Amino acid sequence: MSETVEAALALLVVVPFLGATLPLVLGLVRDSVGWAVAAAVLVVEAGLAARVVYTLAGGDRVVQVLGGETFGRNDETLSSGESTEGFAVGIELVGDPFSGVLVLLVAGVSLGVLAFARQSGPHSNAFYSGYLLLTGALMGVALTGDLFNLFVFLEISGLTTYALVASGRSPAAAVAALKYLVVGTTGASMYLVGIGYIFVETGSLNMVDVSRILAGETAFLDEGLYTDPLVVAAFGFVAVGLVTKAAIFPLHTWQPDAYAEAPDTVTVYISALASTAAAYALARVTWFVFTPAFFDAGAANRRVLEFLLVLAAASVVAGSALAAVQPRIKRMFAYSSVAQFGLIVIGIGVAVHPAAGEQATTFAVYGVGIHLVGHAVIKSGLFATAGALAAATGARRVSEYAGLARRRPVLAGGMAVLGFALVGVPPTVGFIGKWYVALGAVEAGHWPLVTVIFVSTVLSLLYIAQIIERLYFAGVDVSPDPAGTGTGSPGETGEAVAADGGAGATAVATGEGSLSVGMIALAVVAAVLAVVLGFTGSELSAWLDPVAAAVADAAPEVTA
Amino acid sequence: MLAVLLSAATILLILASHRRPNVRESWSVLAAVAKFAVILSMLPGVLDGTEYRWSMGEFVAGIEFALRADALGLVFALLASVLWIGTSFYAAGYMRGLGADSQTRFFAAFAASLSAAVGVAFAENLLMIFLFYELLSVATYPLVAHDETDEARAAGRKYLAYTFLGGGVLVLAGTALVFALSGTVSFAATGPSTAAGLGGADTTLARAAFTMLAAGFGVKAALMPLHSWLPDAMVAPTPVSGLLHAVAVVKSGVFGIARLVLDVYEPALVAELGVGIALAVAAGVTLTAASIIALRADRLKRRLAFSTVSQLSYIVLGLGLVGPAAAAGAGLENVIKGGLLHIPAHGFMKLTLFFCAGIIHVETHTDYISEMDGIGKRMPLTMTAFAVAAAGMAGIPLVAGFVSKWFLLVGAVSAGQAVFAVALLVSGVLNIAYFWPIVYGAFFESHDRADAKPLVGGPFGGEFFGTTAATDGGRPDDGSQPDGEADDDGGTRTDDSSHDGATQADGGHEGGDRDGAGHDHHGGPGPGGWERVGWTGAEGSWLMLGPILAVVVGAVVLGLVPSQIGFLELVETVAAEAVSGVTD
Amino acid sequence: MIGALADSYTYVLFAILMVVGLYMVAASANLVKKVVGLNMFQTGIFLFFVTTAYVDNGSSPVIPAEAAAGDRYASPLPQVIVLTAIVVGVALTAVSLALIVRIYDEYGTLNEATLREVRTDE
Repeated sequence: MSETVEAALALLVVVPFLGATLPLVLGLVRDSVGWAVAAAVLVVEAGLAARVVYTLAGGDRVVQVLGGETFGRNDETLSSGESTEGFAVGIELVGDPFSGVLVLLVAGVSLGVLAFARQSGPHSNAFYSGYLLLTGALMGVALTGDLFNLFVFLEISGLTTYALVASGRSPAAAVAALKYLVVGTTGASMYLVGIGYIFVETGSLNMVDVSRILAGETAFLDEGLYTDPLVVAAFGFVAVGLVTKAAIFPLHTWQPDAYAEAPDTVTVYISALASTAAAYALARVTWFVFTPAFFDAGAANRRVLEFLLVLAAASVVAGSALAAVQPRIKRMFAYSSVAQFGLIVIGIGVAVHPAAGEQATTFAVYGVGIHLVGHAVIKSGLFATAGALAAATGARRVSEYAGLARRRPVLAGGMAVLGFALVGVPPTVGFIGKWYVALGAVEAGHWPLVTVIFVSTVLSLLYIAQIIERLYFAGVDVSPDPAGTGTGSPGETGEAVAADGGAGATAVATGEGSLSVGMIALAVVAAVLAVVLGFTGSELSAWLDPVAAAVADAAPEVTA
Repeated sequence: MLAVLLSAATILLILASHRRPNVRESWSVLAAVAKFAVILSMLPGVLDGTEYRWSMGEFVAGIEFALRADALGLVFALLASVLWIGTSFYAAGYMRGLGADSQTRFFAAFAASLSAAVGVAFAENLLMIFLFYELLSVATYPLVAHDETDEARAAGRKYLAYTFLGGGVLVLAGTALVFALSGTVSFAATGPSTAAGLGGADTTLARAAFTMLAAGFGVKAALMPLHSWLPDAMVAPTPVSGLLHAVAVVKSGVFGIARLVLDVYEPALVAELGVGIALAVAAGVTLTAASIIALRADRLKRRLAFSTVSQLSYIVLGLGLVGPAAAAGAGLENVIKGGLLHIPAHGFMKLTLFFCAGIIHVETHTDYISEMDGIGKRMPLTMTAFAVAAAGMAGIPLVAGFVSKWFLLVGAVSAGQAVFAVALLVSGVLNIAYFWPIVYGAFFESHDRADAKPLVGGPFGGEFFGTTAATDGGRPDDGSQPDGEADDDGGTRTDDSSHDGATQADGGHEGGDRDGAGHDHHGGPGPGGWERVGWTGAEGSWLMLGPILAVVVGAVVLGLVPSQIGFLELVETVAAEAVSGVTD
Repeated sequence: MIGALADSYTYVLFAILMVVGLYMVAASANLVKKVVGLNMFQTGIFLFFVTTAYVDNGSSPVIPAEAAAGDRYASPLPQVIVLTAIVVGVALTAVSLALIVRIYDEYGTLNEATLREVRTDE
């Protein structure tokens, strides 16, 4: 049994990569074969994901060492007479409940977004190749148990994302993609520097091994390496690198451009998964490689963590405030992601903070896990709804949303539900994530963070309320105030309806007026899911229980 | 707990039948009646001490998704559901009378609000109450902003901002703090009398949590520094105002405070922490100040709104006095009884008053008190009901308000807090001061022979304006019309300038500017004064008159035989529990 | 001091290359130069990895069948890592240059400031 699962683990990564070549190859024979190939591959992928997650649900930890029998974790004596002390040779893929969350999310979202892409997306075969590559890379990020391998997968996902962002026909998309590329690559390189430091210090790249060596649990070390300046610096580099990818203030600048200029399909997909994968990587490295014990080991360690928390808090405030002044819907949601990932990083940090007791750690881990999923569902739903509304009516600005509820009641209703979910109105999944993160912060006694978290509710209301008010309560016959000119105005006065410029270009690229069942379905499914998941808080937290226990014990592995 | 789900299901039915108004409104009424029946069926059981409980399992770690019907919850649920029946009829009449837009959304949101309100009543723990509290905010927002005018949107925005600040930030933060302190948020388990409760918690943090929760609920209960959304929200259609003021929304805030004082902290701890007296002071200040502000408001609904602010503080005062009373060992039962009994009492009376304001608006398009002289001739039944309810507000015996105020007075005095008793009496006098001119003017004056009203019309200490109050309203071509269908556009949402004028005129009135500039709305009597209409109900649609009369009868019954209709018994059960908790 | 510097000059070089590269990314207005800076930044990191693999008197890590226990080899792992990272770097450069070509086609400029002006005019 376990062998099938291990094979499935590897196939999860391999299948999309191989599948990615198919649209291009088959494209030589027939045009527009991409969607069908992608759909077939992703259905297989979803099946594999279900199989793996089914096993993981039992609390199992599944390991597949790439390279087969010759490598692996063994402590036989080599010909030289030295013992390998049970270190991993080769690259491990690890499935545990934490990665299971992301695996399921990636498989589900990629399939869902495909339904959206049928009508709206770029239709070239190359696009679907990139799409599958990205899916495979994200799976790799979720499953890898090797620090350098994580870098590779992050870079593959980054590369394909840059390409996908630029796949819109507008020139602005190219500029946005380049900006994303420069910032993203710098971030990834920072991460690589950090990995280099760790490698120099520990001689290993396997996450479990590194963690054990850092803790000083191996025979050749007398004590842990936690206070080693090189290790502290390594955490700094790694955190900065991943935080850049997760778009935390002030390293978020690439994100609004990329989200706003990318084709709608791409925005939906990367908003759900790109930053999520980076935040997941940050959580995994922080929780399981460095572990809470690292942050308790010295004043410098603690300061680094606290600096991270300050950044995250600033991200919450700045992201929400910037979102509230954006006239364009997609930019608004992009900035809102900055704020939401601030919340997630707060959760990641609180879980390992020395002040956190077991309760606080548990709650913070729940919060991070649930909010990662919740945000992905909500945000992709919001972008999908925005995309569908744009496709149906051409509206891409807050001011153009006036009275759309009458023309598109289903989409508007979906947006309202998702909006309130983002604000954190119970009983939606947005609330549960926020509640746990907040509870973790309260238990750990971080009062400033608690304040930020609770105030963030009102801050996110600032922009969501604008949209909902426009949708429902601005009759179309209330003509917009002609004096409203500033692009930075909060949309309250209403801007003159002028959809040319960048927005118009994108609208043309996606084919205005083409609203498909798939687009509406995705919006509705996301809205329903946001509410349904809200009722499954206890199931979700039960799923994350082993993860929380492992973090609280500072264990490098999640076991049942 | 069928009760909550029932009206939630109704939302769907209402949405489904949006093309057929008759069907839609009958669903609304049917759901109201059914809901009332369900809740009523629980009454005997709860009076016997049974608690109905329903749980859907764990919602988030350590907190159940559970509903529970106890005496306190039933007070609120019963009130909300019985008044909903009246409001459903009335809303149907009102919205048709005005031919308003988006009625489907209106009725759906209305049902959703009631669903959430009953949810608040039956919530088993703080998190559940927060959940329904937020849903209530979301559901009432479309109602407040219903008119889709700039003014309504602004009011809606303000409403959302205030309630989310109160609910989303303060209540949630307080809940999280209570959970961190005691490891639970269930009402049954947080009290100091239980092992896991707040009894041993750090007093500073416990006080902080109490303050946050009280302030959070205080937003909806319109306690003074946080009240300003309420008068603004009266731009909403009148049934909504009724819902806000009498049936559900503000009451949910007050109810939250009641839960907080009686169940989460329990009187003994409230006394120990000394937070009760702070709450009482806030309430005392609010009830006096709001009464004074009410004197100055010329727009009828605005005056009623401030009256609500002041009346709610009676209830909060009663709850705040729980602390000192528990400390003094006397008067506890009376202050609780008074405070809680005022919830239904005020509900009935204020609903009557708002219904009256609504019917006046629908039938005659009059919104300003200064134009209402002699209106008793035009709408005799309405104004009689208005007079009765106003008497109750002022605490005149035989009407609902008297009983609760009496308990409060007695309790306050015996708890040794005579200051608050004085505040109560002063406020009673002020109540008469701001209601009497309306009643007097309506019956005993005609529009062209009106005395100057003893109301503070101008800015404090500012200019004095003359006696032209009653003669500047109205245009000769559209006076009062005896039939229900007004053919002008005064109430519907249009964009012509006359409507804008009507909106603008509000500001003019408030500032005491009475020279008629921009004052071309359609209110006030016709050139020949108010038409005389008999006492047979020809003054308006029976869909609206019926509920008014039913509700006012309820108010009187509540005053005459308080012990016969359930509320007092329920309240006594709650009070007895609280007292036994202290003396144990 | 001088001795230590002589021993570990490659680390210093790594730091210098990295900082110069980063500065170019941040400060240069020319898009192509930005990419060059990015490459330099990455090359610095590669150099760092290769340096860590160095073993005194070690030979290249190709182990013959009759290897003796005391033979010294340079560490192969960092070299593999660098090889992979170089591939990633090349791909990145390719994508970025493709984007730059497209931007130049559309806007006729490679200067960031000019580009911003052109785009606000849109």
